[in-house]
Amino acid sequence: MMLAGTIRFWMNGWITQQYVTPKFYFTYMGFDWVHPLGNTGMHVVFALIALSTVLIAAGLFYRLAAILFFVAFTYVELIDVTNYLNHYYFISLVSFLLIWLPANRYFSLDVRIWPNLKRTHIPLWVIGVIRLQIGVVYIFAGLAKLNPDWMLQAQPMKIWLPAKSHLPVIGSLMYKEWVAYLFSWFGAFYDVFIAFFLINRKTRPVAYVFVLGFHIATAIVFPGIGMFPYVMIISSFAFFSSGYHQKLLNRFQKSNLCNGVKIYNYAPILQPVLAICIGIYFLIQFIVPVRFLFYPGHLFWYEEGYRFSWRVMLMEKSGNTFFTVKEPSTGKTYEVENREFLTPLQDKMMSTQPDMILRYAHYLADVYAKRGLKKPAVYAQCFVALNGERSRPYVNTAVNLAAQPLSWQHYNWVLPFTNHEK
Amino acid sequence: MMIINRLRAGIFLGIAAFAIGFVACSKSDNSTTKPNPAENGFDKAAMLTNYADNLIIPAYTSLQTQLGVLEIAANSFLAAPTFANKQALKIVFKDTYLKFEHVSVDQFGPAEAALFTNFTNTFPTDSIAIEGNITRGTYSFNANSAVGQQGFPALDYLLFSPNHLNDFSGANAVNRKKYVQDVIARLKTLTGTVLTGWQNTYRASFITNTRSDSGSPIAFLINQFAFEMDQLKGPRIGWPFGKQSADILFPNNTEGFNAGISVALATENLISLKAMFNGNGSGKGMSDYLIALKKDKLSSDVLTQFDKAINGLKAVPDPYATSMSLHKTEIEAAYREIQILLTLIKTDVASATGVRITYQDTDGD
Repeated sequence: MMLAGTIRFWMNGWITQQYVTPKFYFTYMGFDWVHPLGNTGMHVVFALIALSTVLIAAGLFYRLAAILFFVAFTYVELIDVTNYLNHYYFISLVSFLLIWLPANRYFSLDVRIWPNLKRTHIPLWVIGVIRLQIGVVYIFAGLAKLNPDWMLQAQPMKIWLPAKSHLPVIGSLMYKEWVAYLFSWFGAFYDVFIAFFLINRKTRPVAYVFVLGFHIATAIVFPGIGMFPYVMIISSFAFFSSGYHQKLLNRFQKSNLCNGVKIYNYAPILQPVLAICIGIYFLIQFIVPVRFLFYPGHLFWYEEGYRFSWRVMLMEKSGNTFFTVKEPSTGKTYEVENREFLTPLQDKMMSTQPDMILRYAHYLADVYAKRGLKKPAVYAQCFVALNGERSRPYVNTAVNLAAQPLSWQHYNWVLPFTNHEK
Repeated sequence: MMIINRLRAGIFLGIAAFAIGFVACSKSDNSTTKPNPAENGFDKAAMLTNYADNLIIPAYTSLQTQLGVLEIAANSFLAAPTFANKQALKIVFKDTYLKFEHVSVDQFGPAEAALFTNFTNTFPTDSIAIEGNITRGTYSFNANSAVGQQGFPALDYLLFSPNHLNDFSGANAVNRKKYVQDVIARLKTLTGTVLTGWQNTYRASFITNTRSDSGSPIAFLINQFAFEMDQLKGPRIGWPFGKQSADILFPNNTEGFNAGISVALATENLISLKAMFNGNGSGKGMSDYLIALKKDKLSSDVLTQFDKAINGLKAVPDPYATSMSLHKTEIEAAYREIQILLTLIKTDVASATGVRITYQDTDGD
């Protein structure tokens, strides 16, 4: 599964485009030390990811491969905020969990080589951890949709659907408002409740039909979201009972593997430690998506607490930013050509996200200081359009961004969102 | 187990019935009501057909014709390189360059494949490389590194830069004359390649692809509108005026510098861009698509802003190089209007049509 994703990435030449071409990378706060490795280096990393996926699937050197995959994949994601996608984050988290879970003890090459590793049964909570993780993703994605724009205005569906009127049969429906509302409401209820229906054994098959239907529909209507629907379709398999998986495995292998029941157990001393670790992990998983509550102002506008919160396909936001660098002592001003430093994708992402604007402003201050300016001041003129509203000024043009600190504090230099005029 | 199976079957049936009803509804809708652009959808295929047949292909055709006129005028100048003939040639050259401004925005499909704009209009031109080519008498225009040695900017330099008139007389002029002819021939070849590309295959795929995701005609058009506005703000007007360089002027870097026609070219570029935006007033343009998306106000705001920016440019007299010192206020005013128009296209129009301003085909969520 992930192998296909890696190959797709490679074939599209995205490695070079996203990790080699840019001159400047928007790093994550606290991860400034993460740097790309150059052309060959990045391709080696992607080759390692591909290799580790093969190993995990085959169950060979399982734990080592899981660690390798997690480290390499997360490393790639940490290089540049521009490329952040919720499902990449999801994959990183699941691969992190997989490191600790004994997923190689039954149907794997490891067991073939070291038969004494073999276990036929694992404690239920091990699967529970994965299920809970998927549940967290769905529920938060659903809760995030319960906002006025989504539910009452059917935004951004009203924008996205007419752009899909080329589709056969349903194409002509795409301009109708009730279709936008149907998509919005169905999407929200699906996300909030699907995890519960998957957990319940009685509703599970039906729920899975919905999983298939929902994600295949989104894959058709929004091909732009790439691998996400397939990732969710496959990972939702974790909700199925062991009996079902056993049947599936038996199709591949006729000989009966389960002679003698062996239960996998972690060492008794480790158990409380594990319980605490898992508890902390999920506490973090819960706190991170709700952290936006601690920031003032409109979430979609400021995007403080937006990332890592399972806010999937939630808004339509476009921006355009001009930067000017000024030397205070002489009054000389220089307009910046963003294309000189950023790829078009970076430029687009930066223009709507305050933390990226600030990072770029600091970078510009450094660049122009090297070009001989004394204490360069950086000003931005930025306009942003959100969910079909008209564009408005986004950044206070009088604020020297070079002097603003990067932090998790509220950004005062972002102008408030005013909701009026259509 | 039986109960669950029945339940399952029941729900399956329910979903199936719902789906059938859904499709049936949509069909009856289509048959009973007359298509109304604002309600039942906008005919994107008709819009794209309008772009292909009434704007893009005719623009290349008339550029191709005009290049033939330029070729004849250039040959008669090269036969008798007098000042009077040079002035006569300048008029034809300007007409041809103005025609080019109508295809400048169409850098996708066959034009993108041929790197049309790069090879026809990379300015400032590389005069040192050009002189080297002429002296050696051997050169190739096909390499990507040769973009600065050909096209309209090269002609502008060869034919109209001061003090070069005498170089066309005497024994050493043979190579120079041939170089001018080769540059014109290359322009004709490139235009011909793009034009046949449109006529043979691209037109059909262009008018039938009504998607809006990256790589689709609608996304190309919006991206190119934004790109041309960037070019106007940057290399055509802003950069030579010192916007990037703390007011240090670069008059030589303007488009059509030697012929002294920079503002005329920029104005024509913007006028043609407006015609592209409103589909030449045919009711089948991007501005009409916005109205179908219930963005009437935005559509008319953009058209008004086009006029403001065009009038702003018209207030600046050619040659731009002199105006940079004499008409700073007018240039600043035009620049502001251009910047507002750029923002409208890049954010509001892009957002309303669900098009991303990026040349990369990426995932999003």
